[in-house]
Amino acid sequence: MVHPNPERLQAYFDGELDATAAAEVERHSETCAQCQAELDSFSATQKSVRENLTYHRADPGLRRRVLAALPAGTRERPQLSSFFARVGEFWRGAIGGALATGLAASLALFTMLPSVTDPLTIDIANAHVRSLMSDHLIDVASSDHHTVKPWFATHADVSPPVKDLGSRGFALVGGRTDYVDGHRASVVVYRHGAHVINVFAWAAQGANSAKTVSRSGYRLVFWRNGDLDFCAVSDAAPAEVETLVALIKSPG
Amino acid sequence: MDERRRRFEAQALPHIDAAYNLARWLARSRPDADDIVQEAMLRAFRGFDGFRGDDMKAWLLTIVRNCWYTWASDARRRAHTQLPSSDGAGGEETLPTNEAGPEDIVISNDEGRKLNDVILQLPSELREVLIMRELEDLSYRDIAQITGSPIGTVMSRLSRARALVKSTWIERTERSVRHGSS
Repeated sequence: MVHPNPERLQAYFDGELDATAAAEVERHSETCAQCQAELDSFSATQKSVRENLTYHRADPGLRRRVLAALPAGTRERPQLSSFFARVGEFWRGAIGGALATGLAASLALFTMLPSVTDPLTIDIANAHVRSLMSDHLIDVASSDHHTVKPWFATHADVSPPVKDLGSRGFALVGGRTDYVDGHRASVVVYRHGAHVINVFAWAAQGANSAKTVSRSGYRLVFWRNGDLDFCAVSDAAPAEVETLVALIKSPG
Repeated sequence: MDERRRRFEAQALPHIDAAYNLARWLARSRPDADDIVQEAMLRAFRGFDGFRGDDMKAWLLTIVRNCWYTWASDARRRAHTQLPSSDGAGGEETLPTNEAGPEDIVISNDEGRKLNDVILQLPSELREVLIMRELEDLSYRDIAQITGSPIGTVMSRLSRARALVKSTWIERTERSVRHGSS
């Protein structure tokens, strides 16, 4: 029996293999106790790391200092913090090169997803950002789908499915109403680890445009189900967003 | 407020938590992470017009990492003039370790604190890959872009990081179980 090498097995675990390669590893590990044990061990390590590691959030003071230090006009010299003021001169040369490299890499990377110009996508990405920045993430805060679902029925145009997926790693945070590209949308909010996933739903109109696009570092997955159009948006890993979408689509 | 600044605040600022988290795990100290993030946001603002990509978060994290790198090389150089170290690779480990901030105290469970310690002690090139994968859910490709390394390198570092966490973790847990039961 030929085992996949450890890094290939890890890539399978991380959802980084293409469908054909993943199917191969899956077939193999179904009958190989050694590889299965290795996968279980990946799983256990990941679980304790994700459950215990501190996610350090920027405190409001830092956010304020960053905003205060940004130059108001385009020509003002920004204030540098103590350490960087000293090495500032060196950096002016170095950063140019580093940014150029980063930019080239990001250009190469993002030719993969279609570029986004349609107003609906832009609106949803902006609504997602607004929800994270302001306090308007939720209108009804509840981890209980029996509370959120009826709230939509009385406060929104459409009442999308609200699922209890906590056991699958997607904790229900609540719901709100939002307004995107002329549609009044109902938004179900889930949290996965450190990431918020907003699931927008509105009355379907026109042709079904199921697609997956990327904008400003967020992934947007569009789909239609019955008379509702949906869009899930998050900066969580693509595979995690797809998993949530599949769970929402599944009946029951 | 001008349009450029408004766009920057709308697109870059939401990623400040990711920027701070990476800076904090790399620098291992609150004031240094603060400095690094402030500097990174300024540099991002200055370079904002040149940014044509789609992934603001990855771009910002690239800048954070570059800022940290400059900060760390400077700290290492200063540390070396005071206290010459025989091993170059481990020089970074002479940096002051993290002092506890309010949110660290919140993790009152022993297990959680120990696992955080284990990861703080990993070499930085393994630590950053693990943080980006497990706390930011970034793909191999994104991590490769941010760290400027080939995907193969990302894979092997991630694998080493996980193996080290696993072995250190199990060793500690078993030791504490033995002590606890005695």
